[in-house]
Amino acid sequence: MNSSATPDLLDRLLLTAGGPVQQLRQARGKVVSATQGSYEALFDADLPGNLSLEERLLVAWYACRLTPHAPLAAHYREPLHLLATDPQTLAAVEKDALTELQSPRLQAMLGFTRTLVRNPVEGDREALNALLAAGLETIDVVTLGQLIAFISYQVRLAAGLSALQALEPAQ
Amino acid sequence: MSESLNIQGFTNRTLGWKAWLPILDPAQASPAQQAVLEESHPQAKVSQYYLTLIHQPEVLRQRSLAFNAIMYAPGGLSRAERELASAVVSRINQCVFCASVHAQRFEQLAKRNDAIAQVFADPHTAGTTPREQAIVQFAIDLTLAPGDLPPERLLALREQGLNDGEILDLIHAIAIFAWANRLMLNLGEPVWP
Repeated sequence: MNSSATPDLLDRLLLTAGGPVQQLRQARGKVVSATQGSYEALFDADLPGNLSLEERLLVAWYACRLTPHAPLAAHYREPLHLLATDPQTLAAVEKDALTELQSPRLQAMLGFTRTLVRNPVEGDREALNALLAAGLETIDVVTLGQLIAFISYQVRLAAGLSALQALEPAQ
Repeated sequence: MSESLNIQGFTNRTLGWKAWLPILDPAQASPAQQAVLEESHPQAKVSQYYLTLIHQPEVLRQRSLAFNAIMYAPGGLSRAERELASAVVSRINQCVFCASVHAQRFEQLAKRNDAIAQVFADPHTAGTTPREQAIVQFAIDLTLAPGDLPPERLLALREQGLNDGEILDLIHAIAIFAWANRLMLNLGEPVWP
């Protein structure tokens, strides 16, 4: 019955264990499990296509920094240590200086990320062509679009959950 | 059916959607892709939107599970109010296609489209009741500034009678359209009849 009894990422990152907001979420267990399932699918080391896990983490970290959402940004930044991402790349993302990135492919992906985070209506057909020109295949553009769109969902859900938890329980 | 709305480039008419990327030929879909299409939407096999997203089937599967659980689950916030929030987010993000779909859904559920006409004209002043106004304002705030959401912002919702379960449903409905709008806006475009 209780398919989402295991705390998911947002529970662990933001909420008091067994607290009122975590209990509210349990009443919408399908949302909890699909939110976690989306996260696990997008950061699966064996995800089909050619976006490396490192690239996906850099996109997620950058999107969370732009939002900004500090806890999720830290969450996505952390595994980049293990992947030994080069310091120049990390510094460029950290200070939002995409022109300093060495890789045109990463520059194109993070430029697309910036557009979708800041003002998604500006992401037009030309923006997709720029990704294809940078070497992404169709499946990779779909993955990237889904990833940025998911992060846009996740940061808003996270902000809402934290706000709800910060309020005193309703009388 | 009430009158059609055509306000500020937004409409409640039925629009099409055209993909910018090559779509999967349904005849070439693997059994796993077939299954995900079938559980995502009744029309998925003839929709360029789903036939784009099916290039990455497990992500589409989880997205559809989240979307359907958020928008259609019984209890909690009324489905009409979830659709109102979806329409507001789509209006703010300027997703004309999403706005048209969820304008229609609101109208089917609420049997009126006055609130949608207001959202299309000027979302910042929209809402036919103080409760609708609070829902609309919260949808705008969480859409535009998720990095700056003072908890007190939720008090306006409680003051209008929403309990915390309904507030969670509202947060879900707003957040899932941050996702949906970005797919519809950035992987293709609406087609007008």
